[in-house]
Amino acid sequence: MKKLRFFIALFMAKLATFLLKMLGRNATYMPGEVALKISKDFLGHLKLPETVICVTGTNGKTTVSNLLTSILTKNGYDVTNNSFGSNVQAGIAAVLLQDSDIFGRAKKKIAVLEVDERSSLLIHPYIKPDYLIVNNIMRDSVKRNAHTDFISYIITSALTEKTKLILNGDDLITSSLAPQCKNRMYFGLDAEKPEVSDKPFLRDIVYCPDCGAPLESEYLRYNHIGRMYCTACEKKSPDRDYLVTAIDRENSFFTVDFKGESHTFTLINDNIVNVYNSCAVVAMLTILGLSPEQIEKGFSQSKIVKSRFDTMSAGKLKITFQMSKGQNPIACTRCFNYVASIPKENKLLIVSTDDISDNTNESENVCWLYDCDYSIFSDESIAKIIFTGPRCRDHLLRALIAGVNKEKIVLCEDTDKAVSLIDPEKYTDIYVLYDLYRQEDAAKMRVQFKKLGEGTK
Amino acid sequence: MTVEILFSEIAGLYGDAQNAKYLELCLPDAEFIYTDICSEPYFVNNTPDIIYIGTMSEETQRRVIEKFRPFKDRINELIDGGTVIFATGNAPEIFCEKIDYITEKKEITGLCVFPLTVKNDLFKRYNGKVLGTSGDIKVVGFRSQFSFIYGDNSSYAFLQMQRGVGINKESKFEGMRKNNLFCTSCLGPFLPLNPLFTEYLISLTGTSAEAAFREEAMDAYKKRLSEFEDPKVKF
Repeated sequence: MKKLRFFIALFMAKLATFLLKMLGRNATYMPGEVALKISKDFLGHLKLPETVICVTGTNGKTTVSNLLTSILTKNGYDVTNNSFGSNVQAGIAAVLLQDSDIFGRAKKKIAVLEVDERSSLLIHPYIKPDYLIVNNIMRDSVKRNAHTDFISYIITSALTEKTKLILNGDDLITSSLAPQCKNRMYFGLDAEKPEVSDKPFLRDIVYCPDCGAPLESEYLRYNHIGRMYCTACEKKSPDRDYLVTAIDRENSFFTVDFKGESHTFTLINDNIVNVYNSCAVVAMLTILGLSPEQIEKGFSQSKIVKSRFDTMSAGKLKITFQMSKGQNPIACTRCFNYVASIPKENKLLIVSTDDISDNTNESENVCWLYDCDYSIFSDESIAKIIFTGPRCRDHLLRALIAGVNKEKIVLCEDTDKAVSLIDPEKYTDIYVLYDLYRQEDAAKMRVQFKKLGEGTK
Repeated sequence: MTVEILFSEIAGLYGDAQNAKYLELCLPDAEFIYTDICSEPYFVNNTPDIIYIGTMSEETQRRVIEKFRPFKDRINELIDGGTVIFATGNAPEIFCEKIDYITEKKEITGLCVFPLTVKNDLFKRYNGKVLGTSGDIKVVGFRSQFSFIYGDNSSYAFLQMQRGVGINKESKFEGMRKNNLFCTSCLGPFLPLNPLFTEYLISLTGTSAEAAFREEAMDAYKKRLSEFEDPKVKF
């Protein structure tokens, strides 16, 4: 009976895929939803590709899965992946059924699946990945992700010992996941060690997960990412099998040591988060058997998806667009830090991180602003900040509490008018930090900047 | 004036930790004592003017209860003596009789200040907003939680709700109050979001202080209040 339901679900979902494609629509979610409505354990009946790699964690899973897919594809692999789709149960079902035959058998030999960490318990009982990459676990959306204990509990509960883990060895929460999985590899970063005295704004792990005693840190790069050890027991950050030992920002290279050798790869973006992401990719591809040359071939032809990071010039103006996921305080803080660290002066920032849907007949939960490090805006290189969107007053109050000088701040509730407030003769280095769902606004700004820049030629 | 901030390194999730920072800005001359979970609370041998504790994970909540248990009588003494104690998010649950962790299959006895029980289910997250009154002050807030409190708090609620749910989905009474112990399930930057309540809370210590960045805080508060009072805005 279950099998019959599966075949009905498969048929209906494939029909839905066909119809959606005929209409020129994406078939990256709805067919999966149809399949799961008819057959709850649909995923469990699919014949999966020979190798299934899942990527999960708080930040960077899209970048890692896109890079893996891109490099594998450039090396001749035919990969099932959900780069353009959803990373929850229905999205995973949709992409797997698209790449399966009429009996539900996978047509491709390898799958790279980005998995929403909260959906692990709905997905992994059916899809037991051969490999699971976890970039990091840190606080995220208040509403959806709660706290890191919860996410760790979900991921750990969802896995069986069959899965081989590729974990961030510089994240003690991630490296402590799923102790039942004995086959574990760690990646990490040794280059550009920060000063020991650098104190991060937030830490999601303060006490030993084994004995509860205080943790000490050799150093922390951001949040709790760094090297830690317990003051009372043997617990410490694990040794790393894949270790970034050098970053050449000028020439865009990074060096990874593994298996007793050093290898250099093209660095697609020098944000430290993306160095971790790139190292995870090197580790995974090496485990799959790709040579350093094959991996570099892929890296040298890859770049971060334009919607996440992009630059444009307009006359004298140089504008950088950086996606900063709203409701995600650590990701936003990393973006703030990245912009502040760029060695330029007199920067102007437009901060447009309010969630559109949470402000349409809604009033957005602003708790996350208080987990973001707004003190970064006090950096001397940042001359002006325009907070735009319906929550601009909340951004102002948050910034003042963080010690930012009010003189630096301009409020502009109407995002469409933010660019018009810029004096192009005074500010030429402009940074737009925008939420995932504000891409349309960012696109409008591009047009407005083009016009604004024309007068500065 | 002395303000004790309890366990902010682990009981300050979702921006709750910034309530302490905001109090510091409101009370620049006060002494702030940050007590970590491994240290003995300052209140055990002293009487702070204000004590604050914020939101934490379930595991931390169990650890905090065990930390407090030996000082249960002292905590009751402080409450009866009128010390201002403010608890946000899931910290109020500590003062209930029992917490049932349904998903984790655990149960723990609380400090029994209120004859209420708690049910926590990690697979049921509730997100909501709060519009209520505490005396003549209108209060706004946000909630995100795995647990609800059960029992009759109608005679000692913190807030009479205008919109949003109370201690559970059937209740119209949010939080608890006993003398100057204020308990609310609202989380995050409750004090910066409610400058009028902040001023009231401080006034209970016998000191008068203006909320920090009052003008900007009131602007943000009024904007949120108008949105929360708008029937088109979903709760």
